[in-house]
Amino acid sequence: MPATTESNQGSFLGRISIRRNQVMSMDGSHDQELEDLELFQKHVGDRFSELPADDLLSIAWLRRLLDEFLCCEAEFKAVVLMGRDPSHLAKPPLDRLLPDLLDRVVKSLDVCNAVTLGLDALKNLQRLAEIAVVALHHSPLGDGQVRRAKKALAALLAAMLHEDATAKATERSRSFGRRQGTATAKASPRSFSCTMARNWSASKQIHAMLSNLAAPRGNESSGLAQPVYVMGSVLVFVMWALVAAVPCQERNGLGTHFPLPRQVGWAQPMVSLQEKIAEEWKKKEKKGTVGLLDEIQRMEKLGHSLVEFADSFQFPAEADRLEEVKKQVQELSDICTRMQDGLEPLQLQIREVFHRIVRSRNEFLVVLDQAGKLSTPPL
Amino acid sequence: MEKNLAEHSGSFARKADDDAGNVTYSPVPESDNKVDAKMDTDDTEETTNSDNVVGENEPKKNEEKEEGEEEKKENEEEAVEAQPESPPPNLEKVSEEIDQFLVTLENSNNSKGKTTLEIPKFLVAFLDLLEQKITKYDSGEAKWADSLEEDSLFLEAVNRVSNLMKHFTEYYNSHREEEQEDQENVKGKTEFMLNGLCAIQQRAMSFLEEDFRSIIEESRNPNKSDPKGKQPVAEGSESETPTETAMDFPGFGEETVTNLRKIAREMIAGGYDSECYQVYAVSRRHAFEDGLYRVLGYEKLSIDEVQRMPWETLEREIPTWINTWKECLAVWFPGERRLAEEVFTTEADAAAASLYGNLLGNVSIQLVNFAESVALTKRAGEKLFKLLDMFETLRDAVPSMENLFPEDVAWEVKTETTSAKCRLGEAAVLIFCDLENSIKSETGKTPVAGGAVHPLTRYIMNYLRLACEYKDTLEEVFKEHSKMERADSTSRPRYEGEENKNKIEAQKDNVSPFAAQLMRVMELLDSNLEGKAKLYKEVALSCIFMMNNGRYIVQKIKGSAEIYEVMGETWCRKRSTELRTYHKNYQVEAWSKILSFLSPKGLTENGKVQKPVLKERFKSFNAAFEEIHKTQSAWVVSDEQLQSELRVSISALVIPAYRSFLGRFSQYLDPGRQTEKYIKYQAEDVETYIDELFDGNPHGRR
Repeated sequence: MPATTESNQGSFLGRISIRRNQVMSMDGSHDQELEDLELFQKHVGDRFSELPADDLLSIAWLRRLLDEFLCCEAEFKAVVLMGRDPSHLAKPPLDRLLPDLLDRVVKSLDVCNAVTLGLDALKNLQRLAEIAVVALHHSPLGDGQVRRAKKALAALLAAMLHEDATAKATERSRSFGRRQGTATAKASPRSFSCTMARNWSASKQIHAMLSNLAAPRGNESSGLAQPVYVMGSVLVFVMWALVAAVPCQERNGLGTHFPLPRQVGWAQPMVSLQEKIAEEWKKKEKKGTVGLLDEIQRMEKLGHSLVEFADSFQFPAEADRLEEVKKQVQELSDICTRMQDGLEPLQLQIREVFHRIVRSRNEFLVVLDQAGKLSTPPL
Repeated sequence: MEKNLAEHSGSFARKADDDAGNVTYSPVPESDNKVDAKMDTDDTEETTNSDNVVGENEPKKNEEKEEGEEEKKENEEEAVEAQPESPPPNLEKVSEEIDQFLVTLENSNNSKGKTTLEIPKFLVAFLDLLEQKITKYDSGEAKWADSLEEDSLFLEAVNRVSNLMKHFTEYYNSHREEEQEDQENVKGKTEFMLNGLCAIQQRAMSFLEEDFRSIIEESRNPNKSDPKGKQPVAEGSESETPTETAMDFPGFGEETVTNLRKIAREMIAGGYDSECYQVYAVSRRHAFEDGLYRVLGYEKLSIDEVQRMPWETLEREIPTWINTWKECLAVWFPGERRLAEEVFTTEADAAAASLYGNLLGNVSIQLVNFAESVALTKRAGEKLFKLLDMFETLRDAVPSMENLFPEDVAWEVKTETTSAKCRLGEAAVLIFCDLENSIKSETGKTPVAGGAVHPLTRYIMNYLRLACEYKDTLEEVFKEHSKMERADSTSRPRYEGEENKNKIEAQKDNVSPFAAQLMRVMELLDSNLEGKAKLYKEVALSCIFMMNNGRYIVQKIKGSAEIYEVMGETWCRKRSTELRTYHKNYQVEAWSKILSFLSPKGLTENGKVQKPVLKERFKSFNAAFEEIHKTQSAWVVSDEQLQSELRVSISALVIPAYRSFLGRFSQYLDPGRQTEKYIKYQAEDVETYIDELFDGNPHGRR
């Protein structure tokens, strides 16, 4: 949709398709095809192993992940779709596997939307953190500012805790009483942003995406079934990682990882990422958390620490303590800046993914359609 | 800015000899004196109490260093000294003093240099009074909006606090670096004062935030929304129950808005803008989403749900969606924008813009998502019209977007809308092109009885007639689509096969892509029908079949101005010519043989009529005519005009020939039995029987 990426992508695909066409016109195209398929798998492996390990699940990492996903997707299309006789794609087992993949694609669109909403909720957390930063930057730091910061941070932490609570419950509790106690508890990430449709569940959605996703066996494993399986796995993995990082409606029981073939080269980097993320998830699951996004995790820690500071604050503050807090405030402020700079582009990128996979799906459908037309007996 | 704001007090207390201050503070001591005088009369122990109260409320204060305590003592002493007797302190009066104090601070703005700050006693009284007021509000003893006067008094007081904060902070910051010993005390005092101010400001702001929240949320209850704005937030206005219609969205009364505006102004002035925006944004988002569901009946559906829904159910969601979209653009979005602009009027336009911009952008994209998800559903002929409805809705929305959203949001929403519109357009094109498939896949081998109009013809023609009610939109969709195809033909597979494309390109420039597609459908239908015509054993019947279907097609096309316009006059003329050809062929096939019996040729030999041959001729004619009558009265021509045309033309062909044959040769038969045997029909009888043809029910012999 954004004009620039579109044209970039066009030219990239253009190049590949030219190469394909040349290849197809040469002799020994079968060997070439095998080589293409292997290359595709190798590239997938490479892409995921090149993801930086140190800032796993940070905003920057997620953006990188989506970049890699888009590349995989483009290459997949180049290998499977372009310059190919439509009838190839209508033969078994592809006549079953491709529609399955396209189904998964449609399901992933909801995940994209849910994640976009989750990022909206994060923007609200960011704003609360910013209030705390502004307040704690004040000098001299007085009771009022500390209380102000504490109020914002308490709301922030409460919102984080509310992560998987149902939207309805918080909805109800908000409508009572103007000044019953503190206002802080009223806010939750759910109440911060639009919600998905009723009953929608990220967890169910990911599980639905996983159904029928099985490695091809026997003869099938050397043909086009393989890249279709690889792409399906990549899609599910990326969506799963997004759901892990960002608050999403209803995501119980996703902490466990889903089956990927461990022995295979292309899957290994994904498997190891998956294990790391699942481990993190397990750690946090009991506490209830707003998502594994690195920035949010840090924000949570700083939040707790600063609330502690606020609780024990006495005016005027001791210089040592103040220095210490100043550092934390600076850190919190840096996180806010990173979110300020990163969330919006991340949302745009998710939207780009959304549009890209919709377009690709259409392209596949059209080709399958043509194949269908060709197979219709002429009058 | 007010670096020297505090100098007057300094001069009064300890730094009277400070030369830098001297110039400016001529009015200052005056005011201070006045203040003192007032303090003397108004404030008695209250001041002391107030000081204590402040101290109690901020227990940490007690841990203060000497300066603080000293200061306190001083204050107490002064207060006590100044206390004869006391009417209770009054916020209004103290406020006046504060205002003067602020004015002098402002005035001392331009003088620079070392200054000192003295904290006037009435300041403490003021804070105390304000705190009492907050407590009253907080406990529910006083209610917001019960008394406008009280409310504005409070807001003004909060404003004073914010101003004081600003001045004191500036003073503090500009004097922070100064290390003069005699200022240590002042610095401590300032810090102490700032802390008190800041604490009370926080309490006030916290209250205002809650107040702002409840005012804005109470309007979510439709029973409480009051379009006339008489009782903005008062409880118990259930008596009048204005139903929340879209027209008064977002349904805030004028006074409510004023109220919100006032609170927002103070929160922003006090630096609590983020809190205010946050509360506003979250509340409005909920109110808006609620409203979409409650008032407009629009319920969010996930893309997955939409895919799984039966079409009959989904079909019903579409008008709701269209209505929601239109209402939003016409009423809700402008209303939401207005509200944000009115509440945050004086402050920052950018803030209001980003508040309503984010909300409206999110809602729009959510609505657009529904269109995307419908475009993703499995294609089916019956969906075309609803998809086109949605397409039109989105298309018509785009031009108004510039004025509804802030620039950046407008760009995003427009892009998303355009994209969804494209998807719908694509789906529509594909569905329309699927007509080709439904024609091609109609390969039934059973001929329709009596050569009647084939169901396929009916289906296609009725579908096309409906489709052509959307002709302009379809033209647009096809045009956009063919543009797209040309633009990125490398990455986008074609929707039509190569041969088809060539055909389209071969069309003259004035044929639109939609017209070309329509032509193509017609051609396919034709060739399909031709194939079906061959299923009939009798050529005459296949001619009737072709005439019936051709006639049906032409009638349908002439009956709809839109299709007629697309197909053009030439096409129709050509079709009519073809129909005439079929008619001719029919005549030849069905009647030439029987006419040959009526030919005088071969009847005479050397000028003499051969009687046996003549008898044979009559016999043959009778048999043939009976046969034709029997079969062809079972044939079907349901179009009345065509039916009568056929009968007339048959009569014109047969009757004169028969009549003249009778006239010429009947005399050669012996009158009586022989004549009766061979001349079964008079010309009139033949005509009657011809009029029974194509009725679709076999008459048999009379």
